[in-house]
Amino acid sequence: MTDKDHSSADDKSLVRAAQKGDMGAFEELVARHRDKIYARAYSMMRNEEEAIDLSQEAWVKAWQRLKQFQGESSFGTWMTRIVINLCLDQLRRHKRQRAESIEAMDEESGGVERHMPVVTVNPTEGLERIELRQRIDQALSQLSEAHRTAIVLCEFEGMEYKEIAKAMECSIGTVMSRLFYARRKMAALLSDLKKPE
Amino acid sequence: MKQELQLKLQAYLDGELPDGEARPVAGLLAQDAEARALLAELKNTRAALAGFEADIKLPESREFYWSKIEREIERQSAMIEPERKFASPFASFRRILAPVCAIAILVIVGLVAIRQVDFSDRRGLEVKAEFVDGGALTYRDHTQGLTLVWLPYPAESEAALTDTDDIL
Amino acid sequence: MSDNLSSRLPRVCVVLFLLCATAMAAGAGEIKLEAQLIWGTTNSVSPNPNHKPAQKDVERKLQEQPFKWKHYFEVNRVTLTVPDGEQKGAPVSKSCSIQVKNLGGQKVEVTLIGKGKETGKITQALPKGELLVVGGNAENATAWFVVLKQAE
Repeated sequence: MTDKDHSSADDKSLVRAAQKGDMGAFEELVARHRDKIYARAYSMMRNEEEAIDLSQEAWVKAWQRLKQFQGESSFGTWMTRIVINLCLDQLRRHKRQRAESIEAMDEESGGVERHMPVVTVNPTEGLERIELRQRIDQALSQLSEAHRTAIVLCEFEGMEYKEIAKAMECSIGTVMSRLFYARRKMAALLSDLKKPE
Repeated sequence: MKQELQLKLQAYLDGELPDGEARPVAGLLAQDAEARALLAELKNTRAALAGFEADIKLPESREFYWSKIEREIERQSAMIEPERKFASPFASFRRILAPVCAIAILVIVGLVAIRQVDFSDRRGLEVKAEFVDGGALTYRDHTQGLTLVWLPYPAESEAALTDTDDIL
Repeated sequence: MSDNLSSRLPRVCVVLFLLCATAMAAGAGEIKLEAQLIWGTTNSVSPNPNHKPAQKDVERKLQEQPFKWKHYFEVNRVTLTVPDGEQKGAPVSKSCSIQVKNLGGQKVEVTLIGKGKETGKITQALPKGELLVVGGNAENATAWFVVLKQAE
């Protein structure tokens, strides 16, 4: 396959070529999906450098495991699962290195989010896309890793509760609590963040 | 509102409630303004997050990003690739044979002297199982490294751990 | 090259011997074990939201067995550190507990106690990576397992 062929080929053909050792085809796949994979890593890790490193590690792993990919899902979905697993491993390493935050302990006991007042104003109303993205960016950074992971896996990856429980190595009950807390906190943060003049 | 109900509302939004549980929640929403407000908040948050990642771009050029991936793939391939630089396979074998044998003998002597290993136990991973009611079946899966002792008692047996209040 | 090797060889052998001796000495003594109470079922979701999915390696090994249950949930987990020659116990559930005796050489004697009565005793070597699984039927065509292994 030539470079011109690569750019016009669909993902399936590129994957088949890459599985036979065509690095050019694999490079084209990287180019097509790199933003999405990086975005997922960044959503979870909230650190640009770490997200770049983990996304690159995901691509290297994908190359090593390419022969195992049988097209049961789209290539993009397969890739996002690889990067999610790498991010989860990294977050577990983070957790082992430091003590649980008070917020995390509070969340486990299921207290705060029950008493937050309901946000009745739609936080996206009247906002430009860029401004909304900045607000969400800030709000996500203020969540704990566990809460952020739950919301990323549910809202961005579209995982079911039992899949999230398996990925996060916790019970479904814990997933539901974390998700609920995260969503309520996001709503509160999005409505609290100062509007520009 | 109780937490259990709040979590049910969330599960309703996420399509995680079985039909039997979803219908009463739908009924509640028709009557309870607080529940409707909470559901609206959860929906607004979902709508706000939709498409968020679409605007995130990798802050490195295509070529630079790829060059690091390519380098790592090549480095890992080189590690797996076996050394093929023997002038003569037999000459290489003779060169390493004597030192490898010497090291192996020392290791074995060290193991035996210090631990007085009972080889029969280690080799067989022999299992001895004695049960009050008798009839326990023992099965060894060498590939998985697993020994299973199965108690074929009925679930109602007093002596067995079958009280599912414990489990469920 | 062969001259260098033969001059370095005695030192390499001594270092290796000392490493083995240290490792063996460190290995003697206590054994740290983990006992997990696992529920096996054909349903992909447990009715109890406090259940966690079983650890991946445990789940994989159980799924490789000729059981009808394909889904495994962790109900409880306890850790026991048992010095050489001693016995320690821990509850695995409300009505079941285990006693583990360290027989030395990574060999253990495990006693299962259900509702205050001794149910059975198993003696075997349990090196790292090995699982000892005791199981039985539970209600509604499900199963319980107590999985014992050396802690990571």
